Amino acid sequence: MNTNTDNGADAGAPQPSALVFPGMQPTAFSEVAKFMLVNPYARELYAIADEVLGYRLADRYQQTEGDYSLYGQISFVVNCLALARWAADRLDVTPAFVTGPSFGARAAAVHCGVLEFPDAVRMTARLATVMDEYFEREHPALVTQSIARVPQEKVELLRRELDERGEWSDVSCVVDHDFTMLTVHESVLDWLQRRIRSLGGMSMYTMKPPMHSYLFGGLRDRVDAEVFDGLTWSEPRLPVVADQDGRVVTTGEGVRGMLLDGFVRTVRWPAVVETLSRAGVGRLYVSGQDGLFTRVACTTRAFEVVPMTPRSAMRPAPRRMPVAAAAA
Amino acid sequence: MPELANHTWDDAFEAVVRPFLPYLSPGEKLTGDSQLRDLGLDSMGTVELLAALESAYDVRFLDDALKLENFASPDVLWRTLMTETESAA
Repeated sequence: MNTNTDNGADAGAPQPSALVFPGMQPTAFSEVAKFMLVNPYARELYAIADEVLGYRLADRYQQTEGDYSLYGQISFVVNCLALARWAADRLDVTPAFVTGPSFGARAAAVHCGVLEFPDAVRMTARLATVMDEYFEREHPALVTQSIARVPQEKVELLRRELDERGEWSDVSCVVDHDFTMLTVHESVLDWLQRRIRSLGGMSMYTMKPPMHSYLFGGLRDRVDAEVFDGLTWSEPRLPVVADQDGRVVTTGEGVRGMLLDGFVRTVRWPAVVETLSRAGVGRLYVSGQDGLFTRVACTTRAFEVVPMTPRSAMRPAPRRMPVAAAAA
Repeated sequence: MPELANHTWDDAFEAVVRPFLPYLSPGEKLTGDSQLRDLGLDSMGTVELLAALESAYDVRFLDDALKLENFASPDVLWRTLMTETESAA
């Protein structure tokens, strides 16, 4: 953990914390079922979501296969928000900033008060449909490849080699100095994955549809007109740190712009880390299961990371022993 | 390369691997065909485990050794590690 206090923060005051809503990762229903069905914060939000959607979300989630199903996406947002509310009440988590890399920006927009929860449910459901239609029609052969253990300069080398082969590429996400996501045509995947390994790197997930590229301006415009225009964007109660460049967003329109930028701009997580570090943040509360942004070295070196997952929220709270019993 | 049966890894190997398996109880036996993913080894954990093994055995995984399927079970991973160690020797 970074204990450097030369950051403008009052050395005598407690260090501020930040709340992180993680990017989405596939989660089996069995891993979160107990939390969804028992946790009172989750139950309350699922009841609202069911009313908005007109069906029981948990049932559809359980019955539908696929890592990124519509129901899985909505449930991920609901679970992350429920965890944040649970943490605020039970753990007294009072963050100074909120952020949400990639998919996590949606939950961040709700938690900071810009979007009402029912609107977020409608938005997530509609976005899933619009994105499926868009990528199927416009970019059916593009994928986003995660690359671990390859430093930025070697990623640039890979991109130059792709360019020499007449292949397009774009950096969709910088997770850490040696962890990148590259969007490419799926026909080059075999070559790319072999080349990554030859550089000592690992090819991790391959995402289809792809994400975060300047190529997707058409999607950004369509979402703005067809999805976001129908929603109410209020002023945030908490400053939001944008995942594209670490800028601090303090208006509802700014958060709307940040979400739209998410379709067309590279996610640059180290910029978020830098902004939070400069603000004196010492602890990150992670509201949801995260296998990426809050696990990489640039994050764990800078902050104390406190994961809050459906599994951990269901563990019994430690009981405080009465003083007399403890002394006995 | 010697023929390797289950559970032929050395103590250091298990000491390195175990911390990356949150769903394996401290007293629970790690078997050769255990599915590491079922024991809690996720993608980021795989990257971290790889670095830990490279450091412990002073070896660098390259090319096909870096395929994710080499992290499926302790037996497969140990075999890969031994192959890389012998190649480096």
